[in-house]
This record gives sequence, C-alpha cells and structure tokens, in this order.
Amino acid sequence: MASLGALLEGIASLAVILDARETFIAIPSGLALVQYTFRLDPIACYFNLALAVVTLAISIYSFGYLDGFAPQKPLGVFCFFYALLLISLTVVFTAANALLFLIAWEMMAVAAYFLVSFDHEKTENRRAGLLFLVMSHVGTGALILAFLLLGTWAGGFDFATFHLARHSLTPLRQGTLFLLFFFGFGVKAGMVPVHIWLPAAHPAAPSNVSALMSAIVIKTGIYGIIRVSFDFLETPPLWAGLLVLFAGIASAILGVLYALIEPDLKRMLAYSTIENAGIILMALGATLVFQSYGRPMLAGVALIACLFHIFNHAVFKALLFLSAGAVVHATGTRNMERMGGLIRPMPLTALCFLIGAIAISGLPPLNGFVSEWLAYQALLGGFGSTPSLTRMVFPVAGSLLALTGALAAACFVRAFGIGFLALPRSSQATQAHEVHVSMLAGMGFLAALCAGLGLGANLLLPIFDPLTVALLGVQMSGNLTMAGGIALSSGSPRGGTVAPAALAGLLVLLSLLAGVLLATWWRRGRRVQGPTWDCGLPGLTEYNEYTATAFSKPLRMIFAVLYQPRREILAEFEVSAYYPTSVRFETEVDPAFETHLYSPLKDWIIARANWLRTMQTGSIHAYLAYIFVTLILLLLFGVRS
Amino acid sequence: MSFIHDPEFGNRIITLMAALVLVLQIATAGQRWLISTIRLFALQSFLLASIAGIIAYFNQASHLYVAALLTLILKAWLLPLLLERLVEKVGIRQEIEPLINVPLSILISGCLTLVGYVVAESFYHPEETSVRAALGHNTLAVAISLFLIGFFTMLNRRKAVTQVLGLLFLENGLFLAAISLTYGMPMVVELGIFFDVLVAVMVLGILVFRISETFDSMDVSKLRKLRG
Repeated sequence: MASLGALLEGIASLAVILDARETFIAIPSGLALVQYTFRLDPIACYFNLALAVVTLAISIYSFGYLDGFAPQKPLGVFCFFYALLLISLTVVFTAANALLFLIAWEMMAVAAYFLVSFDHEKTENRRAGLLFLVMSHVGTGALILAFLLLGTWAGGFDFATFHLARHSLTPLRQGTLFLLFFFGFGVKAGMVPVHIWLPAAHPAAPSNVSALMSAIVIKTGIYGIIRVSFDFLETPPLWAGLLVLFAGIASAILGVLYALIEPDLKRMLAYSTIENAGIILMALGATLVFQSYGRPMLAGVALIACLFHIFNHAVFKALLFLSAGAVVHATGTRNMERMGGLIRPMPLTALCFLIGAIAISGLPPLNGFVSEWLAYQALLGGFGSTPSLTRMVFPVAGSLLALTGALAAACFVRAFGIGFLALPRSSQATQAHEVHVSMLAGMGFLAALCAGLGLGANLLLPIFDPLTVALLGVQMSGNLTMAGGIALSSGSPRGGTVAPAALAGLLVLLSLLAGVLLATWWRRGRRVQGPTWDCGLPGLTEYNEYTATAFSKPLRMIFAVLYQPRREILAEFEVSAYYPTSVRFETEVDPAFETHLYSPLKDWIIARANWLRTMQTGSIHAYLAYIFVTLILLLLFGVRS
Repeated sequence: MSFIHDPEFGNRIITLMAALVLVLQIATAGQRWLISTIRLFALQSFLLASIAGIIAYFNQASHLYVAALLTLILKAWLLPLLLERLVEKVGIRQEIEPLINVPLSILISGCLTLVGYVVAESFYHPEETSVRAALGHNTLAVAISLFLIGFFTMLNRRKAVTQVLGLLFLENGLFLAAISLTYGMPMVVELGIFFDVLVAVMVLGILVFRISETFDSMDVSKLRKLRG
C-alpha cells in the first residue's frame, strides 16, 4: 500500500516540478486560524519526490524485514505509525499555513517517537526515544515562538502572507526570526551542537525507520531553513549565510570524526548523517553568502549542490541503513567488531553496502561525487568573486570539505573492510545468511538509483531549473552543462569541468588495463605458494585480524585534542613484563557535547525545577490561594486599565 | 397601591435584599458551626430566590420565575438537607479552627467587599441613567463581593464540607450577577447551571465522606500527604 502511494506521489511530484506551476489546495476548516491550505510549489515537490523515492524502496524492503518481528511484535501498530509518519512528512512539505505546518511537524515527531521506541523492551531504546522527543520539542518550541512572532508582525499565518510582508520587517526582527528558525530547524537537521538525539535514536529504531528518518526526517529541517531564508525573509544578511556555513563545517567535521571511531554500525551511520547534513548546510550557507553579495550564478551552483546532495544523501543513506539493517538482521549484532567475512554468506547485501559506501564517500562515478563536486566548485568559485575578508572563508571551507570527504572515505573503508571482509569475528557472523528477496529488491533499487543519479547527473540538471528560478530567479542548467550535455561545468570560466559518465568509462578502461597487465605479468612470472609467516602461531584466526578500533587508532591519535581519549592498559604477568599472562585494554572517547554542554544544562534545569517545586506544596489551600490572589490582581488590573 | 408597579420601588427592594445577602455572607465568615453555616446558606438562597422573583415581577421576565422556583427548591431546601445529613453522618459539628481567626476573617471579608465595589464601579456608566443600569450597579458589586468572600471561605477553612459550602456561596454570587445584569440567562443555561451545582454537591459529598473515612478527619490539609 505504502509503496503504491509512494509511486503515485513520486509521479505527481515529478509532474509538478516539470510543470513549474504552483498549485494551491485549500480545505475549509472549522477553526479560526488554522487553514488547511497546501501548496505544491517546486521546492515542496522536490522534497516530496525524495520522500516518494525513498519510501518506495523502504516499503518494499519492509515486507521482508518486518517478518523478523512478526510473532512477538504488534506489526499493526508499527504500520499505523509508519503511515502516520509518511502522511505528516507529506503535509510538512506541502503545508501553506503556519499552524497546519506546526501540527504536521508535531505529528511527525510523535509518530517518529513511537517508531524509535518500537523495540521498547530495552531501556536504552526507551531513553533514546525520550531524548529524541525532548530535543524535538526544544526545537519545536523555538519554531512556535518564531511563527507566532512572524504571524503577529506579518498579520496572518499563511505562508503567502509571510512572503508578502517580508519587506516590512526591520532587520532586527528578521535577524531574530532567522536565529529562532535556524535553531528550531537545526535540531531536526542534526546540526552540531544540537545533534545528540541522532546517534541515540537512529540505532535504537528498526532499520527501515532509521533509513526513513535519516533520509527524510532530517531533511525536513533543511527544508524549513530553505523555506525561511528564501520565502519568509528578505535576502538574509551576510552573517546569516556565514552562520549557516560555519554550522555546516562544524557538523561535517565533528560528524565524520565521531563516525570514524564508532564501533556500532548504525550509530556510525547516524554520525555520518550529521556529517552529510553539515555538507548540505555548507552548500546552503554558501548560497546565502553569494546571494547577499548579489552573485546569482554562484548562488545557483551552490544551491544545486545543496539540493542535489539532499536527494543523493536520502538515496545512499537509506541504502546504507537498509544494508546495515540486513546485516543486523542476519547477525543479530550492531557491533562491527563482531562481524567480519560477511561478503561470503551475503554477497548481494555486501555489494549494496559497497555501492552506498562509494557514493557516500564522494567517489566517482556515483551520485555523491557529483553533488560534492558541485559544492567544491561553488566554494572555490567564492574565493575569486567575493570581497576581502569573507573570501578567505571559502578556501578554508573547501579544504575542510575535502578533509571531511577523505575522512568519510576512511570511515567507510573501515566499515566495509571490518564488517564484510576477512574472517568472521564471532559465531553469529559465521552463521549469517543472505536476507529475504524483498529486502534485496529494496536495496537494489536504491543502489541502481545511486549509479543512475551519478552517471546521468548532467541529464537531470533541467529538473533543478524550476527550483533555482523559484528561489533565486536564475536558470542554471544551460551554464552547467558543456560539450553537448556530456560534461558538467561549474558555470564560471575559471572553474573545473567533469563528465561523470566519461569518468566511469575511464575507470572501467583503467581497471581493464590493470587486469590485462596483471594477467600478462602473472603468466610470465613464477608463482610460488607457501605459508604466510604467522608469528610462530599455528594458522591465522580471527584473533589475528585488524579490528575496527585499531583501524581508527592513527586518526584517534591525530585528533586527540577533540576526542580526549581515555586509555587503560592492565597487564598481568608472573615472571617478566615481557610475558604477560593476560592483557586488558580499555579505551573510551569523551563524549564532549554530553559532558561539557548537556550535563551542566541538565543539572541547572533540575536545580531550577527543584526550586519551583517548593511552590507545589500539595496543599489545597495553597493552590486555592494562588488562584485567589491571581484573580484579585487580574480584577484590579482590569479595572485600572 | 401604585407603588407596586413602580420599577424604582422594586429597585430599592432589590438593593435592600442584596445588602441582606451580603450581610449573611459576611456572617458566614465568622461562623464556626457547620450546621449554622448551612442554615445561613439556605437563608441566603431563599433571599436570592426572592430577588429573582422580584426582578421577574417588575420587569415582566416570566422565565425568571422558573429560576426563582428552582433556586428555592434546590438551594434553599434540597442542598442544605443533603449537606446536613452528610454532616450528621460524618459526625463533626464544629469547625475546629479556621486558618485565619474570626475577627481577621471578617475584616478581610470587608476588604473583599471593597474590592467588589471597586471592580463593579468600572462597569458603571453614569450617563446611562436608566433604572436598569442603577440596579446592575449595586447588585453587581454585591455579587462580586459574594463571589470573592465565597472563594475566601474555601481558602480559609480546613473542613471539606465548608469548602463545598464556599463553592456554593461562590455560585450564589455568580447567580446574583447573572440575574442582576441580564435579567436571567437563557433557560437552558440556567437549567444547566442548576444541574451542575446539584451534581457537584453530590460528588463532593461522596468525596468528603471518603476523605473523612480514609484520613479519619475532614481536614483537607492532610491531603498534602498524597503528594509523591
């Protein structure tokens, strides 16, 4: 059912984008301020298209995946909240009234909460759900405040009213609103430092839900920021763009660094989601900066990078979460250190994970490469064409993006290498088996999409025309394609060009060449087979393998300032320290945001709450007295005025 | 006998009775005996019913007769009866000690009457010299005072029964405000309010009984033990 709906929605959204026409739907409501108005403009439809594509794959996947829960768990409940989440997501993207938007936003949070804590027998999962709900409400609080302020200043709660009233707002009010909206939506988008719910909630949820949340729910935050900065407010000032850019850089770097040392496969993917949200925010911030300098063409490149990466991330992160779900389903553990060698029992899942990993690392010729390449072009283009101090921001941002990309590649080499290659590290990994065919179909669809979006990127560019026209007023596709539509260019004379399809061809040619060379060299040479030197131990076992912790060790040492690792080595020996009988090694990374930001905040709130508690005596007389005094004061106040 | 039909005369009678109602109300603030408080309530309700009847007579608002009759039956007879039975069943006849002592309570009641007049003053527009406005002026002040003193009684007393009585006094204030300002609300609303009061007293009566059984006392201060 869900997949059928998704298919229809996808076709409808695509049709509307290509039409470049806005459609309004208004359903009369009984309430005064809430109007059920929906607007299908290009932006809304673009996000809905992503939702539809991902939902289609996830729903197919779920047929097989949910079978694993079948007897013990109430699947009807799951499907109810899943459908509720999908509906509220659609409404969030299409709502054209602030109150309707907030209702859908809350419905989304509640449905997601129930899905996250679906596996509620574990305390850890309940805590994760609660954390998600609390953080989500902190963000929603900021949003409600922002919408109420904007509604009061603009004189109405319709998005159209906001759009018309934006020129009458003073810069101070615009700035306040931007900060409130940015914070509120940033919580959902997984921006550092309000990201802490992500690494808790994503692993706790069933994998199809994590895929949906990481692919789409995160993007509602981005959608909100885009909607606010281009639709509700005037061209945001320079500081707003720089703020978004810096928040993006922080999220990208910290996200990938935490992902790199995480042994839990799904938590690692959650951190990687923070990283990608950071990349998207970087591109968005660059768009805003270019726009405030009046550089629509560069802004267009950055915006396309942002939007394209949103779609790409939705596709490959969903793919990765679904493959991770398949692995967890087959082995029963999320810990990478207990997997290993899974490529033999589950080759197709391994292939899907590999495709997702290549895409997310931004390697050609898949889709992640194209959007990150566009982001580089935009950032580097910014160096030559913005004045004085801000121009310095761009090369730094570009190089940090490059660092992020390299670290992400390392991170996924580690995930694939430790998880799928070498020998099984536990009995569960030995007994793993390939998953249900519907799960493979769901993953395969997304994997094919990764390749298609990468290779056919230049053909897809016209899709972005209505979007850039709507947001910036420029048409980009003509400038970005070269040589009869085969190659992508950055739209400026000094920028680079690239042809993903040609790159792919080159890659195939190169590997063929290497294969031929290797084959001839092998035939000529003499092949000697002997036992590997195994340190004097008989035969290699899983204990000789490189572990995930060991793999990330060099980086942990390099970034020790950020990680603040704690190590503890306990060796017991009888004769000499060189012959230990047992060695115990413990390492732990300081969760910086939890210990330095959230714990003090939590303590402070609890202390204030205790202080308030003295008011709650439990005595009826006290409560009556509160009401009585308030009543008399209000009466007297009413008389005076 | 022409003064029988003179609205001005009716107005004076109503003001006089409203003053009596207020005096009764202040008297309850100094009353310690439960039974006496209940009787004072019955008397006050009787006066209210009379006021409603007089307004109905002088203003030809016939549906107010129904309200008057209902007040008479329900508040002057049925509710006091129920409450007296409850008090006998629980077996406590005297309020031990109010939170604030009697002289001070009466003083506070006086101050609340002042507040009532101050508030009512803001609704009074001297340019509207009709009889109706003048009637509203005085009785509204009394009604607000009744409301506030009733609230204060709830605050001041420990016994659950007196709290119920405080609520009823408060409701009497609302009733007086309604009839003096609007000459009676629509019938449906009136009926709804009467039914509401009846049910409230029954439910609260059961609650009082349970409280006295559970805590061996009707002292609501002990309810604070319920706090987690």
